[in-house]
Amino acid sequence: MLSFVFRRLAVAVPTLLILVVLSFVLMYAAPGGPFNSERPLPPEVLANIEAKYGLDQPFWKQIVNYVSGVVTGFDFGPSFQYKDRSVNDVIAQGFPVTLTYGFWSFVVAVTVGVSLGVAAAIKQNSWVDYFAVGVSIGAQVLPNFVMAPLLLLVFTLWLGWLPGGGWNGGQWQFLIMPVIALSTSYMASIARITRSSMLEVLNTNFIRTARAKGLPMRRVIWKHAMKPTMLPVLSYLGPAFVGMITGSVIIDVFFSTGGIGQFFVNSAFNRDYSVIMGITILVGTLTILFNLLVDVLYAWIDPKIRY
Amino acid sequence: MTLKKRLLATTAAVLVATAGAVFADAHATHPVTGEALASDQTFTYRVGDESPSIDPGLVEDVDGAAVVRDLFEGLYNQDAAGNLVPGVALSHAVSDDGLIYTFTLRDNAMWSNGDTVTAGDFVYAWQRAASPALASPYSWYIELMSIENGAAVIAGDMEPSTLGVTAIDDTTLEVRLSQPLPYFPQMLTHGTTFPVHQATVEEFGNDWVLPENMVSNGAYVLTEFVPQERLVRERNPMYWDNDNTIIERVVKLVVPDENVALTRYLAGELDMTDVPAGQFPRLSAQYPDQAVSVPEACSYYYMFNLRDGASPEIQDPNVRKALSLAIDRDIIVNNVLAGGQKAAYTFTHWATAGFETPDIPMATMTQADRNAMAVELLTEAGYGSDNPLSIDLVYNTNDSHRSVAIAISQMWKQTLGVDTTLANQEWQTFLEARSNGDFEVARGGWCADYNEASTFLDLMQSESGYNDSRYVNAEVDALLAEAKTSANPQANYDRVEEFIAQDTPIIPIYHYAAVDMFAENLEGWPYENFEQTWYSKDLYKIAE
Repeated sequence: MLSFVFRRLAVAVPTLLILVVLSFVLMYAAPGGPFNSERPLPPEVLANIEAKYGLDQPFWKQIVNYVSGVVTGFDFGPSFQYKDRSVNDVIAQGFPVTLTYGFWSFVVAVTVGVSLGVAAAIKQNSWVDYFAVGVSIGAQVLPNFVMAPLLLLVFTLWLGWLPGGGWNGGQWQFLIMPVIALSTSYMASIARITRSSMLEVLNTNFIRTARAKGLPMRRVIWKHAMKPTMLPVLSYLGPAFVGMITGSVIIDVFFSTGGIGQFFVNSAFNRDYSVIMGITILVGTLTILFNLLVDVLYAWIDPKIRY
Repeated sequence: MTLKKRLLATTAAVLVATAGAVFADAHATHPVTGEALASDQTFTYRVGDESPSIDPGLVEDVDGAAVVRDLFEGLYNQDAAGNLVPGVALSHAVSDDGLIYTFTLRDNAMWSNGDTVTAGDFVYAWQRAASPALASPYSWYIELMSIENGAAVIAGDMEPSTLGVTAIDDTTLEVRLSQPLPYFPQMLTHGTTFPVHQATVEEFGNDWVLPENMVSNGAYVLTEFVPQERLVRERNPMYWDNDNTIIERVVKLVVPDENVALTRYLAGELDMTDVPAGQFPRLSAQYPDQAVSVPEACSYYYMFNLRDGASPEIQDPNVRKALSLAIDRDIIVNNVLAGGQKAAYTFTHWATAGFETPDIPMATMTQADRNAMAVELLTEAGYGSDNPLSIDLVYNTNDSHRSVAIAISQMWKQTLGVDTTLANQEWQTFLEARSNGDFEVARGGWCADYNEASTFLDLMQSESGYNDSRYVNAEVDALLAEAKTSANPQANYDRVEEFIAQDTPIIPIYHYAAVDMFAENLEGWPYENFEQTWYSKDLYKIAE
């Protein structure tokens, strides 16, 4: 098991390197640049700026400098767009925000999603089932860029219960609407996967045996059915968790939370190369880590799986 | 504490608080107008995106400039009408040849840490703004101000210390120009020319702009700065005119979506926000005291690609003029945009200071006459139903630009039978295509850098880096050069506008308007100020 983890981590390093180089090349291939604007800068001013950010050096040297900065000093460089901040500042500012609302969205999505799915499977074809399926389909078809303004309209403008956006250091009032808007579609997917997985498990022989020997239903579900049910859910949760904690531009745009999603999208539009790279590396690393974590959890839940 | 005591204590506290509030409300009145002031003097406003920088030496956008004007104070400020009023400088004298400006500074201007603001602070700030080490994208502003050796310092050929600015003593600042510049004092209200506190900048480097480090000399000090979320500034007790500041706290919120911002405005969370495109008629009917449209110093236009090797069809001035005539600008401003914009037949914005819109024949014709003339011109040029003209029109991705482009392509189709292919491009791609000449007709927008017609018309200069049409006309160049030193350049500007109407290198379409919602109790906004140069210290909230 340990050697499996090490092997995976060893593969992760070249994967990340390829990601860095590929992003770097694609980024430079895109038309425009970080210092293009409607008013082209006088050449001498542009030369000063390019010298300051090292953009006057040959392309290969820029990559080498960048990678060595990241590897040796964990230094992602200055932001080309936000001149008062470095990329490390931008991530240190935006990532905790996204992590907070992403984490709570994950908790809500998993709790509600799994409960709905299990309830629907146990009471298959009853009103509970129809209700759960109805809710999850409803949540799935309502995209969050529609739900976010609706939430604002109801809770901020009409009822006046919640602030219409901002972060304010992460007070709970500012968390509620982002969490609802971000968690619903994940919740819906989790509910559907849990339901079908649970239904499949409930029809297997070992469950029939458990019931035949007279175990109470509660015990059958929790002790025997839950673990195998969670396997397909788990493989969904790894990437879903990364998706939630690395940000949703929709949430940041509609609730002005100042999370990493907004920085990521803006950096692409502004050709803020260093911010694009910094966040790409962050998301890439997290994706690799959580996929690994899911694989480890798999082996822990299902003793049949061995690496 | 017993229940009774607790009740007593609470009651007493409430009484004291209420009395305090009543006291405050009853006695706080505006020193000039005598209006009763609201007890909460917090001004909260919306911006759409984070500013690149709030460092005076680096600031480059409009929203950032507003923050810098609150935190720092330069030699002069603007009043509500845009006239210069003393800031750190009390007055100035100009030498006979117009090359040497000597400013007398007030002796009671303070930094927020108690240091005195001196002429040396300006010298340091200006040298810093021009220095290649800072590499400010706005260093060209120093060059634009024609300060002696400015260009050479920026290019790195001379040391920043050779810049033509000297502190004679603590309250006397001398500035030497390389050529006389009649509007030089007007340029001093921009952040690039504001002082910075040398010791702070040198101690903290890039981090000096963080709230815990910043030392500033404006009416406000920075207390919170969370990028992409909020920036808070609070009254500066060390400011020389602090007694006349009324707004206690200014909160800038970054709200990327303008419809969300409007919802939050209507919920009372914002005192000011932009009106989303197309919503002005509804909002001004519903909230007549809050929805305001004022002229904004920008012009919207389409440009033709006149480079060698560009599409031959549009090299014929008659074709270009026909396309210009066939655009019904009244429909664009009244039906498509509907936010108080004005139809444009000149490139220079109609409200520009000292500019009188010349009589362009097209402007006074009826649209029916314009259409008839357009058909005639295009037929003469050899296009008609048997040989239709086709045009590629490109604009940067944006709902409002799309609506305008669709309307115009319809007008060209119906009046002239022209087939237009519309394409939209993401901003950076669009800029690159435009400056590389990779287009036939492209959208353009230009905002004034200063309040004088040359800020627009200089784009028509053959060598201008902003002349994306590559319109080359020696007569226009001569007229513009002459206007620089002329006491009354209006006649030159008239002639240039006539050339634009005749040769049609660009099609002026409309002049912008700024459309905003302002809270009913917010007073003091400089609506008359064409550049919308506002200062939080001039605002106040009246009691409801």
